[in-house]
Amino acid sequence: MTSLQTEVLVVGSGAGGATTAAQLTGAGRRVTIVEEGPWIDPDAVEPFSLEEMVLKYRHRGSCATLGSPPVAYAEGRCVGGSTEINSGLWHRLPSYLSEEWRRAYRIDEFTDDVLDRYAEQVEEAQGVSRLPSAPPPSSATLERGATKLGWRAVEFPRVFRYDQQGRGVKQTMARTLIPRAVAAGATVIPDCRVLKLLTRGDQVTGAVCDRTRPDGSRERLSIEADFVFVCAGAIQSPALLQRSGFRGSIGRGLKLHPTVKIAARFPSPLDHAGVPMHRVTEFAPSLTIGGSVSRKGHIALALADSAADFRDALDDWERVYVYYAAIRGDASGRVVAVPGLSAPVVSYRLTDADMSRLARGLLHLGEVLLAAGATELYPSVIGGRVVRRLDELVSWWDALTRSSANLMTVHLTSSVRMGEDRERTGADSFGRVWGVRNLRVNDASLLPDAPGVNPQAAIMTIAARNTDHFLAHA
Amino acid sequence: MTAPNGSTDSAPELPASAAVVTGAAGWLGQNLVRALAPSRERVRCLVRTDDDASLLSVIGPSIEPIVGDVRDPAAIDMLFDGVGPSTVFHAAGVIHPERSVRSLFDVNVGGTQLTLDRARRAGAVRFVHVSSNSPFGANDVPAGRFTEDSPYNPYMAYGQSKLEAEQLVMRSYEHGDLQTVIVRPPWFYGPFQPARQTQFLAAIRRGRFPLVGDGTQQRSMVFVGNLVLGLLLAETADKAPGNAYWIADARPYELREIFETIRAALAAEGLEVTERNPIRIPALVGSMAEAADKFVQGRGRYVQAVHVLGELKDTIACDISRARAELGYEPPTALLDGMRESIRWCLANGEQL
Repeated sequence: MTSLQTEVLVVGSGAGGATTAAQLTGAGRRVTIVEEGPWIDPDAVEPFSLEEMVLKYRHRGSCATLGSPPVAYAEGRCVGGSTEINSGLWHRLPSYLSEEWRRAYRIDEFTDDVLDRYAEQVEEAQGVSRLPSAPPPSSATLERGATKLGWRAVEFPRVFRYDQQGRGVKQTMARTLIPRAVAAGATVIPDCRVLKLLTRGDQVTGAVCDRTRPDGSRERLSIEADFVFVCAGAIQSPALLQRSGFRGSIGRGLKLHPTVKIAARFPSPLDHAGVPMHRVTEFAPSLTIGGSVSRKGHIALALADSAADFRDALDDWERVYVYYAAIRGDASGRVVAVPGLSAPVVSYRLTDADMSRLARGLLHLGEVLLAAGATELYPSVIGGRVVRRLDELVSWWDALTRSSANLMTVHLTSSVRMGEDRERTGADSFGRVWGVRNLRVNDASLLPDAPGVNPQAAIMTIAARNTDHFLAHA
Repeated sequence: MTAPNGSTDSAPELPASAAVVTGAAGWLGQNLVRALAPSRERVRCLVRTDDDASLLSVIGPSIEPIVGDVRDPAAIDMLFDGVGPSTVFHAAGVIHPERSVRSLFDVNVGGTQLTLDRARRAGAVRFVHVSSNSPFGANDVPAGRFTEDSPYNPYMAYGQSKLEAEQLVMRSYEHGDLQTVIVRPPWFYGPFQPARQTQFLAAIRRGRFPLVGDGTQQRSMVFVGNLVLGLLLAETADKAPGNAYWIADARPYELREIFETIRAALAAEGLEVTERNPIRIPALVGSMAEAADKFVQGRGRYVQAVHVLGELKDTIACDISRARAELGYEPPTALLDGMRESIRWCLANGEQL
């Protein structure tokens, strides 16, 4: 067994972990980051390609919750975490939500001015911007449909920087905060899965890891640390804590944004390189409409979801694009680490109100796509009729059921939850795991509820705040 | 300046010359449409079937029925097509779903969202939303009264669906999309009642309807004629937009008083009423029914008899002071007269009492 020693061990290198590590090294702390996935040059793999899915996603992109219906989910598993594979949309936590969370979970120092201060810091460092030019057709289409219906739609800013020619590059953690942390002295150990945290009394003393060496051989790695930050995401963080003997509320309260999709065919070709930056916010926060990654492979998958004959549409894939409706649900799920299994069991049961909200979302999505000029709509509902006219949409209410809905999510949160309400939280207002002196969680798991929008901004803002708290107190 | 509802000049006159009514062939809808028909140029009526359309067409030349599903965007487009400045009375809703709980949400929430959206696009002058007592649950004590400031505490799936609908309506107002008014009626009675209410009166007549507990629990009720008055006042009152109002009879009644008054009304209409006292069942049975109801609804199913039994043990009473002060609402009909009118309607329509 190899062993090493560090001051602060950060488990995970995504939005939470990278923010934590960069800030700690900036303050002169000695930091080691362990990441289960590989460290891949961000320029080496084409965004949203099949190769990316194989290299950077957990289980090559195919995970699903247990429940009726199941919800497929995607998690990044690489240095940079899900920031390497997401759309990079940036949405500050709306103040009515921070207010609600502050009250309901009794979170200290969670006011707008505190959060805005950290959000500004993070935005400054990351580079958050709007398009320097007109939106691409896939995005303009959504805006056009919304305008026609009188629905609110906005162009979301993204974590993108643009060069002189207007070419944009997504500012993933592997491009920004990880190199910054490394430059300031942090060590990154990729291909290294933490099996268990080690404890003594009310303290953690380090972690035991399973590391794959560059030559493919494996070793046990023992890391001794004065402080540990668990930032492995809303599925892996509670699973690691449970494997290490911490239970209580940990793993309960999992939230996600259940999502339905439509593959829509248009009279003219659309762009397929990126993800639309426009969102229909008319029904937010309970329901948001936007565009999905639509490479040929994604289009084939989305078309197949309807179980209709789609060969003709697939041949015409350049005129097809995938759009989605995501809901904030009433349901919450659970993450349970099972001894002997490397992947935790994730369960999530949608309520009848959630199922209805999804059906409503599917219809509204259909309305806006037809208004934008779509000629054919393939819903992600098995046996759901292919719709060509507005008066056919009504059939989707009854077509979407627990057994016919193909649901997915890319946002997972709230499986530890922060706040002073010890009944419902796994960590205090700053992410300190209850009952342990030197162990913190600092990622999506802390958000007490689903934010209804891309959570990256909220995750990074809260992580920056909590790291400052640590620096002031430890 | 552009007004929130999309019109470009000073506020249009109220009451509007056109009315749009969803749920027009329902219990409340039939009463409301009859009140609107003589004074409006057009009364657009959303109904479920061709039979319902014929039923309403005979009321008068202003009635314009549209057959469709309140969940259907194309049907709601037709409902508002060329209607002009109108007041929308959104009365469509499911109270007792035939089987599945989900339809409560599909219709009560989904239908409300669609109707709000199309009303906004059509430039509706005012949107009067028919809600319920169910987002508020039951009062803690028999003397308790809901006011407009009472906190939400939804009773099961129906209450949850009506709460979500209210939230959509309020958001539409806050966004400046529509001038909305929420009207919250409790348990109705009156003409055009559905079969379940006729069965209820018939069971009382025969002493077969159970009195849960000691019968001192209180219930607000509203005679449909009083409710129609409340809706019409909500359409025109200056203070109403953005607000919600309880619309009920002048005072709540004890459950035993309701039973006794129905017996008196039946007798006054010349019907023989049993001498037997109603079956009394302990409040505990009501609680057990409530638990059973929660259990089956948790599995997506709905059993009406169990639901009704579970709800009868509680006090559900409201205070109409704000409607009195801000709408000028003064309910003209009280329980005995209103029940007599219901019974006469049943007899005139060949209903088996």
